[in-house]
Amino acid sequence: MKHFDVAIVGSGASGGAVAYMLAKAGLKVAVLEKGRLIDRKAFSKDEIAYCRRDIATPSLFDEYHIIEEKVDDKWITTPTYESGWSFWNGNIVGGSSNFMSGMFHRLHPDDFRLKSKYGDIKGANVVDWPISYNDLEPYYTLVEEVVGISGKYQNHPFEPWRSSADFPQPPTDENEVVKLFDASCSTLGVVPLITPRAVLSRNKGHRNACYYSNFCGSYGCSSGAKSSSREALLFPALSTGNLTLISNCYVKKLESTQDRVTCAVVIDTLTNKESKITASLFVLAAQAHESSRLLFNSKNQFYPNGLANSSGELGKNLIFSAGGSGQGELKKETLKMITFDKLMQTGLFLNRSVLDWYFVDDKNEGRFKGGSVEFMFEHQNIISRAVKQCYEGEKLLWGKALGERLVKQFGESKSIRFEVFNDWLPTNDCFVSVDENHLDKWGMPVGKLRISGHSHDLKVGNYIAKKCEKILEAMGAENIYSSVSATPPQNLIAGGCRFGDDPKTSVLDRNCKSHDLENLYVVDASFMPTGGSVAYTWTIYANALRVGEHIVRLFEEEKRKRV
Amino acid sequence: MDRRYFLISAGLFTILFGAKIQETQKSKLFSLFESLIPTIEAVQNHLFPQGGKIPSAKEMNAIGFLKETLLHRSFDRDTRDFVIEGAKELIARTDGKFVTMDENQKERALRAYEETDYGSSWLHRIMILTMEALFGDPLYGSNIHQSGWRAIGIFGGEPRPTSRYCQI
Repeated sequence: MKHFDVAIVGSGASGGAVAYMLAKAGLKVAVLEKGRLIDRKAFSKDEIAYCRRDIATPSLFDEYHIIEEKVDDKWITTPTYESGWSFWNGNIVGGSSNFMSGMFHRLHPDDFRLKSKYGDIKGANVVDWPISYNDLEPYYTLVEEVVGISGKYQNHPFEPWRSSADFPQPPTDENEVVKLFDASCSTLGVVPLITPRAVLSRNKGHRNACYYSNFCGSYGCSSGAKSSSREALLFPALSTGNLTLISNCYVKKLESTQDRVTCAVVIDTLTNKESKITASLFVLAAQAHESSRLLFNSKNQFYPNGLANSSGELGKNLIFSAGGSGQGELKKETLKMITFDKLMQTGLFLNRSVLDWYFVDDKNEGRFKGGSVEFMFEHQNIISRAVKQCYEGEKLLWGKALGERLVKQFGESKSIRFEVFNDWLPTNDCFVSVDENHLDKWGMPVGKLRISGHSHDLKVGNYIAKKCEKILEAMGAENIYSSVSATPPQNLIAGGCRFGDDPKTSVLDRNCKSHDLENLYVVDASFMPTGGSVAYTWTIYANALRVGEHIVRLFEEEKRKRV
Repeated sequence: MDRRYFLISAGLFTILFGAKIQETQKSKLFSLFESLIPTIEAVQNHLFPQGGKIPSAKEMNAIGFLKETLLHRSFDRDTRDFVIEGAKELIARTDGKFVTMDENQKERALRAYEETDYGSSWLHRIMILTMEALFGDPLYGSNIHQSGWRAIGIFGGEPRPTSRYCQI
């Protein structure tokens, strides 16, 4: 049996970042990925395969979750094979980073000290982070360089400080609709910002620049422009010769002594053969809810309530990204400022963010932590847009009338969408555990997620959504609507293994090492005590690079001691 | 969130569909499905008729797409059951005469079926499957010569797929 310096469970953003740092430093690393490797050439824009079937996620009849939601004051459990509400996100090499839209923002310095800044909120378990923005800033910058982020720095009161003057690559090309958007914001006194994108605007090493395919989010990138873990980190790590990438490898559980993880028990998903992988150090990067589940499923005589769970905090304070979305249509006959032909030019991005309501001090609503907003074109998927036209009021629309509507809708309008991101406050009613009565196809208890949002989250989301509707109105959009709910986006999950300095109230220390086991780290978004008000991915990348550097130092110190 | 409500309420978790489809089961499924094809095809042809601004279900071989899609292992088996049971229900409601009805009679029959939650959900599902045919990549056997895309002036992205379902 081959022994590795480090075994990493999961190959997404965080697993890839740690693998990159370790392999570059000369450590022998294994990445264990449940999914298969899809070649860059196979990343076509096949809507049926990638967006309408589960080709990159497990069948919910084989692997599922149990979801607990409160209905009429009672907790109702539903397996996801019944609801169809999948909590899997891109189970292939590179994980969900293959399919992200790549709209990236750093957390604000105050996101690291939310409790100190805003105090307690009743019913929420808000705490400060054990590290500050200053600790993470160098790694945010490293992500820009190594992973690749395009953009243009613009000074804004709620834009965090940065150690480099600007992004390493200029922004991706924009549709002319930004003229209308920027002018509309200006009339409202809103400051539009160019969204930093984890999409290359220029060639970088083995990766080609964006070719503006018109189908970005939800699809893998066939040029390598999207800064996925797979393109940006795993391929360079593989080129060192120090990384062994083991795909189709399901990790059942970890075995341990009181102090150390000894091995990972794995199943080759193609042969169903079980084996053990040993390493000096183990890193979990399986996505927040699945890392907690793996630790629960690894319970043993030393840790009867779950590995690394002496605190009893494992799985608790699961968070998502709160907020919602909205949309409006720009119509050919009423479009102003730009020509309709320019609006319909495919592929170019809208790429605008608004941070004006990241912190709110409103004379009517009071002072509270707000959130960020991304503006974009409605996803260009053809089938899903066509299906939206199936109803006339409550009744189905079919026949020639449906055809006429489709031709008019696709040919004479284009929709602008916004997405609001605000804090999903951690509460006692949002956590992950396992359900011993429900087993996956390999006989392991499935993850059970109790999901409940805090009412404050809805207040914040609605406050911002209404502001965004005003921008769409100013643009001349029609049929404007927004929707803010407590239903979480299942692709933005964090928490469950909080990091902190007190072993009694946190699962991980400030370096994301288990308080209990000396060679166990968790580097996906599990560590986050609060989520901030932006998508997590840049922070996940940055923190994983930080932890990776820390692990490299550990091995170097160990080596020096031996010498 | 319970999108399978209609499926469960119809009591469809039969032995036939309760596990991975083995070859013998697949053959049974195929036979059952074949017997329903004329009805489903007639529904598709009524919902997406000839002579409109978008290609018709018939011209685009939407029924061929639907058949292959439902039998592919990537397709949700509950939804497959639902398509089958919904067709059987329509046949029962129309005393097996739906296929031979004229267009006015079909319209009345489908609108009456739509009045039930089950029927409305089933018709919506048939519309979705037909739109997947009309606007999915031609590689899947429909949207012939990209006629669906041409009709609405919007085209799928590049690179186009070279194998169905990314070869799973």
